[in-house]
Parts: sequence; structure tokens; C-alpha cells
Amino acid sequence: MKVGAYEVIKARMSRRRMLQGATALGAVAALGGPLSIRPAMAASHGGNVRAEILKIPGVGAGSPTDADWQKVGEMCLEATKANVAEGEFAGVELTFMGLNNQNLHNFLFRGFLKPWEAYTGAKINWIDLAQADYNARLQQSIATGTVDFDILEMGAPFEGDTAGKGLLDPMPDWVAAQIDADDLVGYLKPPVGTWDGKQYRVTIDGDCHTFAYRTDYFGEGAIGGAEVPKTWQQVNAVTKALVGQTDPLTGQPAHGYLDPLKGWGGFGMYFIANRAAAYVKHPDDPAWLFDPDTMKPRVNNPGWVQAIQDVMDLIATEGAYPADQINADPGTTGFSQFLAGTGSMLMWWGDIGSSARTSDTSVVGDVVGFGINPASERRYNSAAGAWEETMNEAPLMAYIGWGIYVTSRVSGDEKKRKAAWSAAAHLGGKDLSLWTAAYPSGFQPYRNSHFDYAEWEAAGYDRAFVEDYLGSNADSYNHPNAAIEPRIPGIFQYYSVAEDELSKGFAGQYASAQETADAIAAAWEKITDQIGRDSQIALYKASLGM
Amino acid sequence: MRPSGAPFRGEQVSSDGDLLHVVTNDNISDGRKRFGRAIIWGTAALTLVVAAMQTMQATGNADFGFANWRPTLYAFCTWAVALCWGQVLIRGEHGKRTLFVLPAAIFVAALTIFPLLFGLLIAFSDWNLSSPTGRQFNGLDNIRQMWTDPFYWNALWNMVLYSVVIIVEYAIAFGLALLLNAQIRARKFFRVAFLLPLMLSPVAVSWMIGKSMLEARYGPLSRLARFFGVDNPSFFGSPEIARATIMVMDAWTYIPFMMIMILAGLQAIPKELNEAAKVDGANGWRNFWEVTFPLMLPVSITAILIRIIFKLKLADVVINVTAGGPGGATDTVTSFIFREYRERSNVGYGTLLAFVYLVIIVIAMTILMKLADRWMRPRT
Repeated sequence: MKVGAYEVIKARMSRRRMLQGATALGAVAALGGPLSIRPAMAASHGGNVRAEILKIPGVGAGSPTDADWQKVGEMCLEATKANVAEGEFAGVELTFMGLNNQNLHNFLFRGFLKPWEAYTGAKINWIDLAQADYNARLQQSIATGTVDFDILEMGAPFEGDTAGKGLLDPMPDWVAAQIDADDLVGYLKPPVGTWDGKQYRVTIDGDCHTFAYRTDYFGEGAIGGAEVPKTWQQVNAVTKALVGQTDPLTGQPAHGYLDPLKGWGGFGMYFIANRAAAYVKHPDDPAWLFDPDTMKPRVNNPGWVQAIQDVMDLIATEGAYPADQINADPGTTGFSQFLAGTGSMLMWWGDIGSSARTSDTSVVGDVVGFGINPASERRYNSAAGAWEETMNEAPLMAYIGWGIYVTSRVSGDEKKRKAAWSAAAHLGGKDLSLWTAAYPSGFQPYRNSHFDYAEWEAAGYDRAFVEDYLGSNADSYNHPNAAIEPRIPGIFQYYSVAEDELSKGFAGQYASAQETADAIAAAWEKITDQIGRDSQIALYKASLGM
Repeated sequence: MRPSGAPFRGEQVSSDGDLLHVVTNDNISDGRKRFGRAIIWGTAALTLVVAAMQTMQATGNADFGFANWRPTLYAFCTWAVALCWGQVLIRGEHGKRTLFVLPAAIFVAALTIFPLLFGLLIAFSDWNLSSPTGRQFNGLDNIRQMWTDPFYWNALWNMVLYSVVIIVEYAIAFGLALLLNAQIRARKFFRVAFLLPLMLSPVAVSWMIGKSMLEARYGPLSRLARFFGVDNPSFFGSPEIARATIMVMDAWTYIPFMMIMILAGLQAIPKELNEAAKVDGANGWRNFWEVTFPLMLPVSITAILIRIIFKLKLADVVINVTAGGPGGATDTVTSFIFREYRERSNVGYGTLLAFVYLVIIVIAMTILMKLADRWMRPRT
């Protein structure tokens, strides 16, 4: 769970609820057999390990420590023991490269893997990287042929840069079985994590953008109308209609949807893509940014142009956006505007919903609701080259989520290879993942089993909140028309250059949305040519499983 | 000290050569000289051979089993040591005197020439880190791309605008320096207070000023603007205002730097000159314009030149506050190169842009210094 989300839930815990949860846990444990704090025993008695690990350290009992991570790691070792003999990897040394954001990620992995090291006899050396250094370090290692790590924590968008270049080791079948890969939510199943039909990724995280809105803007007699907008057309209409009204909470001018109009190191592209996905992500076609046969950008097709035009329409409507919106990046729209009571609709990752209730600067904690990416009343069919007057929903799986990968450095040494995959499988284990979903870890829920709200309730969580907060994620994850970004080399280069061109378009330096989109397309064509069109086509197709 | 030419015990006295500076009598045998030349040329040849072998391996023409470029580095270090040692062997005490400079010269050359050459190689390459083909020499393509790149020219034009504003900054800095040079109350306090912005990190300025105080709805400066009747105060809403705001933020940080330089200059002017002018009947303005300002020209020019160099590196505030927007209005060359290099991994093109910018800066600064040299000649 993201730290913010944990703080929210912790804040909503009352002593009574805690006791209820503890009682419920006790009851569950009693039904399953004698309750024991010894992990091996717990695991061997009716699968109680899931309930047991959720008690470490206990919801609302302070932030977990290294001792807790080790305890969880030890309690979840059963799956490893089924595939690896004790001491089987004695003498094996592995290097693990990952992040150290917020003292999470690698810090947790160290704790989780300590019992694994003790059991298997392997030793892990760590390379900790700050988020800001991560991309550059990875890209330089790849470009200069100095990959010096065996296990890698990596986001799926980089699969093109790694798997596409043969730098990763294919996952053995026993790993898929150990981690119960079938339990992953819909969009994280292949082709995500695969190249040319081979699986490379042990998923440990999920990502998607969800729709956050102010509940006090919508309802009978509310300024935004009776219903929460369900389509982007309605979002724009409501945003325009709110001009001149007063925010019911802050008394300041009311605003509707908050588009970030400034770039954010490439990540800003996800936000215009939220709008565009509803127009252009056709259920019959997994591709929506490029044509997979030619790598011709689709960013200047009528659907994308409509999305850009929608934003330009709001820019042209005086008062639709807060002042200075042209200088607002996604961080500003989320944390400086929406949480501070400016604006009523927003697309963001899960953090915004959780921060709404815990951040000191948030004033919207009690008036925030969630949903999936708004739909469009019509969609553009790239194959037919025509609009279809059909309602289209397409939640965007922005950034896809983190995974654990094994590099091809270990491919030639079967013992080392098995050790690396065993470590990866331990971190992506089904039971252990429930704990990372429930406690601060930097990761979001990503398995269907994570949305078994009874487990959360039994552990002492507020069911109503968990359902509201996680439900929008679950609906997005499992949506049949989820928009998944291309996992091709340099995908963030495309995003970055698009941000530059969009910035010019939004500042009025291009004559129209079409001209802006054409400029993006031209810049994308240059990048494709530079990286290599044929290889990009091949890799794109591979990433789509074509 | 031993008198020049006085012999050490047991040494032959030489009456030739530089007897003032050379204190040791060197009788260097031909064999020693040959040995000296041999180690210099031998190690040079070794370095060339190893470098050639590594280049052949790097280009795929042969495989000598090198894992990295360290053998060439070690060979170069061996040559550097042999070159120094050879000086002493061949030239005796003259060689020892050379050693005071030679190691430093080799070190500096190694750290500038090699990276420069390597940088040039990259600048004329198509090297996108995401490309499976790696670095490819592409001749003048990067220059052609630069020539037609509106973002780069826009950034260069912005740099011209940013630099022109230095004249205004200079005027303000001069005014403040004059104030602080006058006999005012709490002068020391104001000197320190005026210097505070210079002590702040530009990143801190970006967040504290750009993102907080200038925040359009809740920032204190926005509230102040509303208090004075501005309906929707916006500090980054239009290209012109955004550029002006960045200029003001940067000026606020660096005016103290110019001010302190000018203040130091003012304090170095002998008071007698102003007093003599006063006695001759000059009023305040004439005293400043005819005496103080001309005397301050060397300091002023130096302050402006250094300020221009600082200004040309402007990037951090822009990257943090506007990311170059809106529509590139606040973009600087450095912030554009940052995006090209870091966000787009376009190493070849980014390096070329940096090289071109360096050349432009060197030429512009040389011209400016020549002009400054002319301006600073005493008026006759």
C-alpha cells in the first residue's frame, strides 16, 4: 500500500474497530485451527498465514519496522520451501538493484529476503537508487553494456529497453506456479510482463489513474448538477457551467476538471492520455498511441485531436481553470489545487484519494469520491478511420506498476538462475503481496485476491472506505478495455517531447489542436527513426503479444 | 645559501650554461640520455599499441580479451611517469625544474583534452540511449537538426532577453551599492540583509518564491495583488509575464552579487577625489557621472561579465518553476539541453547543443571583453 493510503486507513481506525478486527481475526484463526505465532505452524494450519501476517504489526499499531518485514518474510517462506531445499543456494551471491524511495522498496525487500537468505544460503548485495537517478542509471547500464545486477526492480514501461534487448532472463514455469500468476488482475496478465511470448516479470505492484471528484459539487441542488459526470463531454460541460459559481467548501470561485497544462518530466502525458483513451482506445484494438504495423503515431488522429481540443476549449473559456493553470503540472493540480479545495474533478493515481484525508493541507477529506476514467459518448476507430457513435470506457493503466525481473547475467549458471528467480518469486508471493497491499510498502494492490474485502475487514479495516477507495482501482484494473501504454524503448522520450509540443499548443503558439497534434506526431516520427523504426515495430508488436 | 657557482665538495666546476639558476653540475652520460629517451618513446609506443588494440576491439575488428579501457589508462599513466622521469634522465637539473609543472600539465591535459575529444566524438554522433544500435557517427546531421530546431533557437533568443536585463540589474545593484556606501543607519545590517538572497539555493528560491509565494490563489504575493485590486493575479499565466517573473526571481537572487562587487569598488575610491570635485563646484550628479562612474568602470564591467556568465547558466529556477513554459517562453538553453539529454536520452544531440552553446559563449564573451577593454581606457 502507498504510505498515504495506509495513513488514511490508520486515521480512520477506532479502538472499537480495532477490537472488532482483533476479535474477527481470532475467530478466523480459531476456525482454522490452533493459532500459533510460529510462521511455519501457522502456514501449515489451514492457510492462516494471510490473517497472521496482517497482524504484523497490526493495523493502526505504528509503522512496520525491519523486524516486522523479516517476520513477514519468514512467515511467507512456505512457497519457497516447496521448491528449494534448505541451503540449496549456499555460496551464491546475487546483486539486486532497486529503489530506496521513502525508505521503502529495497528496504522492505531486504527484510523480506533475510529469512530467505538464511534458509537458502544465498547472499544478496544491494544497489539502492533514488527515483530521480533510476532511469539514468538503468539506461546508462544498458547503453554502455555494464549491467552489473542480477535482480532488478523495474517498471513495465522499461521492458522494451531491457527484455527487448535480450537483457532479461525468461521466467521458469515453476515461478509462475509459485506466485500464482493467475491471481493477477486482468491488465497485468500477458502481454504485460512478456516479450515474444516469454514471461519475464514477477509483478509486485499495480498502477492506474482513477477519477476523483468532490461529492459536495454533485447531487440534488448542487452547483455541478445532480449527477457526477460520466463522460468527458459531461466533464467539459460541467466545467464550463461552473464558471462564475462559488465553491461550496472554500467560498472561492468554483472550478470543474483540473487539467495539468504543464509538463512533468514525461509523466504529464498520462493526463491528456486519460481524455484521449476514452476517444481512441477501441475495444477491438490493443494499440492506441501508435500503429503497430508502421509505428505511425496515432496522436494526431481525430480522437486525440478531440482530446486536445477539449483542453483548448476550457483554456479559451475564461474562468474555467484557476488562474495560472498554464503553469500547473500534475503535482500542482493534485496537491496544490484539488486537495486545497480548488476544482472539483481530477484524474490521478491512488495517492490523491488517500492524501485527501491525511494531508495537513487537504480540506476535501470528507467530500471526495472515486470512480473510473470518464467515458466518451463516441469513439474513433483507427482501423476504419471513422468515428463510431458508441459509448466508450477506457481506464488508463498509467505506468503499469513495478515488477521484479532477473537479468540474463545469471542465464548461464543454473544454480544462480534458480536462486535469482526464487528470490523474485518470494517477493511476488501471493501471501506476502497481501501484506504489501495492506501496509506501507510503496505498492498498490494488484491481485484479485487483494480485493477480498472480508480479509481487510477481518484485519480491522473500515470496509466502507476500503471498498470505496480500492473499488475504483479494481474496476479500472479489470476493465476489458483498459488502455495500456506501449512497453517500447524510449517511451518516456515520446512523452517528454509531446509535453513540449503540448505546452506550445496550450500557450497558443499553434493555430489549432490539429496543428499541435501534428507537431507531436512529427517529433515522435523523429524519435522512432532515431531509435530504429523496424526494431520499434518488432518490439511494439512483441509487447502487444502480436 | 650557497653562492652561485660555488662547487659541492667533489664536484667538477662548470663554467658554462645558466649559472644563476642551475646549481647542480650535471654531467649526463650519453647512455643515461639514451635510456631516458628509450623509456619515453617506449612507453609512448606501448600506449599507442594498447590504445590501438583496444580501439580495434571496440570497433569489432579484433578481440584481445580486454574487459574495459583500463589497460589504455594504465599505459597512459606509465607513459606520463616515464615522460617525467625521462626529463630528469635526459636533462638533469633542468629536467627536475620541469617536474614542477609537467605532472600538473599532463593531469590537466588528460582531464580536458580527452573528455573534449570524447565529447566531440559524441556530439557528432546519433546516440539515443534507447537505440539498439548504440552510438553511430552521423557527421553534421546534429548541426542540421539544430539549425531547424525551433526549441533551441527559442531558448537562445530567451538567453539574449535574459542577458539584456542584466543592464537593469546592474543599475539597481549600483543604486543599492551607493546607498550602502553612504552614511546610513544600520548599514551593516542592510549589507547582510541584502546579501541573503544570494545565499539561497536557486532550488529553494524556486519552491519558496516560485511555487509558494507566487502561487496564484493562496500565495501571499497573489493575495497582496488582489488586495490592490488585481482580480486574477497570475505570475506565469502569459509568456511575457512568466518570462518577466523568472527574470525578477533570478535578479532578486543575483543582484546582491553585483551589489557587493560594486560596493567593494566604491569603497576603494579615494574620498579625496569626490571632495576635490565638490570643491571645484561639482554637484551630486556630476560628481557621480564624472568621477565615481568612470572610476567604477573596471569593476562594473567585471561584475557585468561575471553576471552574464552566471545568467547564461540559468536553468534550475526554470526547470523547477515553469519547465520552460508556457510554450517555451521561459526556456533556457541549459534547461532545454537538460530535457533533451536527461528526459529523452538523446546524448549525441544534447552534447552537440552544449558544444555549440559553449562556442557561442566563448565568442560572445571574447567580443564583450574586447569591447570592455576599449571602454575601460581612461577618457581623455
